[in-house]
Amino acid sequence: MGERRRVAITGIGLVTPVGTGVASSWGSLLAGRSGVAPIGLFDASGFPVRIAAEVKGFDPATIVDDRKLLKFANRSHGFALAAAEEAMQDAGIRPTPADATRWGCSVGTGMMGLEFTELEAIHRECAPSGELDTDLLLESDAAADPIAFCRSQVTSGLALLTRRFGIHGYATAVHTACASGGQAIGTALKLIRRGSVDYTLAGGFDSMISPVGLAGFCLLGALSPDNDRPTHASRPFDATRNGFVLGEGAGFVVLEEWSAARRRGARIYAELAGEGNSLSGYRITDSPPSGDGPIQSMRQALADAGAPTSEVDYINAHGTSTPMNDRSETAAIHAVFGPGTARTAVSSTKSVTGHLIAAAGAVEVVACALAIRDSEVPVNANLEELDPDCDLDFVLGSPRKQHVRIALSNSFGFGGSNNCIVLRNPEEIDEREQGGS
Amino acid sequence: MAPTPRTLVTGCGAICAAGRTPDEIWDAVADGRSAISEIQQWDTSGWPTRIAAEVPNVKPAELLKDRKLPKLIRRTDIFGLYAAARAIDSSGLIGHRNGLEADAAAHFNDRSAVYVGTGGGTYDSQYDYLPLLAVAEGKLETFGRELESTVNPMWLLRALPNNVLCHIGIRFGLKGANACITNHCVGGALAVGEAVAALRAGEADRAVVVGHDALIEPQHILYYQRAGLLATDSIRPFDANRSGSVFGEGAGALVLETDATAAARGATVLGECLGSGATTDAMGLLAIRADGDGLARAIAAALEDAGIAAKDVGMIVAHGNGTTQSDASEAAAIRQIFAANPPPVTALKWAFGHLFAASGVVETLVALWALRERSVPGIATLLELDPDCADIQIASRTQVPRSDIALVLSRGFAGTNVALLLRATATGN
Repeated sequence: MGERRRVAITGIGLVTPVGTGVASSWGSLLAGRSGVAPIGLFDASGFPVRIAAEVKGFDPATIVDDRKLLKFANRSHGFALAAAEEAMQDAGIRPTPADATRWGCSVGTGMMGLEFTELEAIHRECAPSGELDTDLLLESDAAADPIAFCRSQVTSGLALLTRRFGIHGYATAVHTACASGGQAIGTALKLIRRGSVDYTLAGGFDSMISPVGLAGFCLLGALSPDNDRPTHASRPFDATRNGFVLGEGAGFVVLEEWSAARRRGARIYAELAGEGNSLSGYRITDSPPSGDGPIQSMRQALADAGAPTSEVDYINAHGTSTPMNDRSETAAIHAVFGPGTARTAVSSTKSVTGHLIAAAGAVEVVACALAIRDSEVPVNANLEELDPDCDLDFVLGSPRKQHVRIALSNSFGFGGSNNCIVLRNPEEIDEREQGGS
Repeated sequence: MAPTPRTLVTGCGAICAAGRTPDEIWDAVADGRSAISEIQQWDTSGWPTRIAAEVPNVKPAELLKDRKLPKLIRRTDIFGLYAAARAIDSSGLIGHRNGLEADAAAHFNDRSAVYVGTGGGTYDSQYDYLPLLAVAEGKLETFGRELESTVNPMWLLRALPNNVLCHIGIRFGLKGANACITNHCVGGALAVGEAVAALRAGEADRAVVVGHDALIEPQHILYYQRAGLLATDSIRPFDANRSGSVFGEGAGALVLETDATAAARGATVLGECLGSGATTDAMGLLAIRADGDGLARAIAAALEDAGIAAKDVGMIVAHGNGTTQSDASEAAAIRQIFAANPPPVTALKWAFGHLFAASGVVETLVALWALRERSVPGIATLLELDPDCADIQIASRTQVPRSDIALVLSRGFAGTNVALLLRATATGN
């Protein structure tokens, strides 16, 4: 068995509440310009929470020149196709008939289901009293719409992406709630390492800013109710934090086997160096106060990357802005980094983007790649009142100029699925060690 | 570098319309009994599709030995957790762990992975909002205002696709590597493949693998029927007059361990996972290639991964979903790989319907039983073999596997194809 294959990030793409595209998103992320505002996608006036971080002014047709394909895309699929297109163009490669079978695709997807207007049609046509009448369903147009069917399935996004780009190798969709995006990128890393493929398009996409999606989180009491101060509602690690803000969007990366990327002279943002996953095994919505679970995912990811904690210069925290997550994550970082905690910059970009759910981990891996590229770490916006339980080296006020050797991205999902991704600065890699493998 | 570990099957559990243990399911298959019958969950008079393979008499609290949990999860999760618990119990893993010192037990938990494949969900989970829509009378403002008084506060948690993964973690204390693969009908097979890869890469010493799905609901059935995917009488894989598939539901679960850890605790070994391969046709959600190219590449990748040749394969459990296109392209793929020398081929969905994400795991278990019994069950519903499939060793009668290795095929939406290779352990090993 030969040396383990190294994996390079050579293309990135973003659609976020603060910009369509990497350039506009990154500028806002660095500066801490919030994407949260009153909900404009639908009338949320009766909801207890009326703010969200929406993607603004987005039209997939301006980015993806395939009207027929877009007919089968819901809002989150549009984000995915656009962010993936940007990542492919950025990498400067895409699958060809000759190498299509050596390309894989790994995505973190949102939950399956109908769009709200389609659910309303089911209600009108088949459940006027509020209970489904199966005889009416049989006669209804709403349940006979093949496009609604194709858009609603959990693998719809994967189908659109593999078709759009002609990816013929290993294709998979994962869902571990808010850890999905990170886990999809971790899966992609392993596919290249073990030689199943040589290239992967990997990322996450989601949009739960709909009456049903917003309702689900409202019912759980998970969202910040600060309707009057939208841009301050998401304030991870602040002593007054009171819930997360729902966001939407997509993040994608193109991954390549390292030596092949070098040979073609690709620009390498970072080495995708390691991944760790764990289960907290605690409660469905609660994080263990001790940080148990996230501790293991971080340790495993660092061990997988062969990275000592002393080389970690930036942690993009899961940092949702819920009282419990941020305390638990702080405890976990202390447990893993010990005295080095004081020297490790931490920020949660959810302070700007809100929580992109299944897309969050993927967008935040891209943020880590950009921090490495620019030697600049984004700010943790809205952190004004320090919480004694959250005593980390937060990036406050403005972005921090600093060389980043290793960056780490945390994602923790409902149900206790924890994911950690490790990126290494390409300057830190001694190519002579590679032995041309 | 340590040699790549072998990945051994040391526990199993399953539930579907044909039975609640792998033994019961095997007996039904071997006896040629199909569990497909009239749908009971709603009145299907006048429906174009009136049949499915439903698990009868589901009593969640009894299946899970827990009265509270069933209220927090869905039918598919109940099947998944039941199969997982049976697999874990049969492996003796938890008793072994509970006999360890505290530090060793904590290490054991951190080194225990969980890989779950699931179809991702049902339409009826959104129906919890229909009463609210009725109250709202088209006004979203009212929808928002009446939300908390009308909808179950746990709605989102019940609908989570990763509930089985999470509850295995909570119930059994397993904390290692994990994934919830929501990749339609190949979810279960991919979960097996990813667990094997994790054990080989040293990310875990053992893994619980589950595939589960329960999609028998009116809206799902209608969509599939209108897409031309469903049969009206039974599934007839590779039959000249096949007309489509039939919904089933259920779950399958395996415990996989590295050879070293299995030997160290003296585990009973049922079989071995030798390798896997996965591809996509990339034609969109529903379309597949007629030439079986993607499936043939998945089989070739699995053979390479396992380090064996096509001639070493002793039997094939085909995906055989009974649709005209899929079965024909599957026959083409088998022909492409095995040429003039295919092993006996069978398909199982005629017995317990299409189990979607659970298929790959339940059919893997049946394949292990078939190898152990040295008997490839026939396709009981096969009346007239499609002449285009006549050269690939499909039969309505029982055949004899030509070795102790089985190939199990799974295919799903988005043109995905997965091939798994397994070896049965000789009795007494």
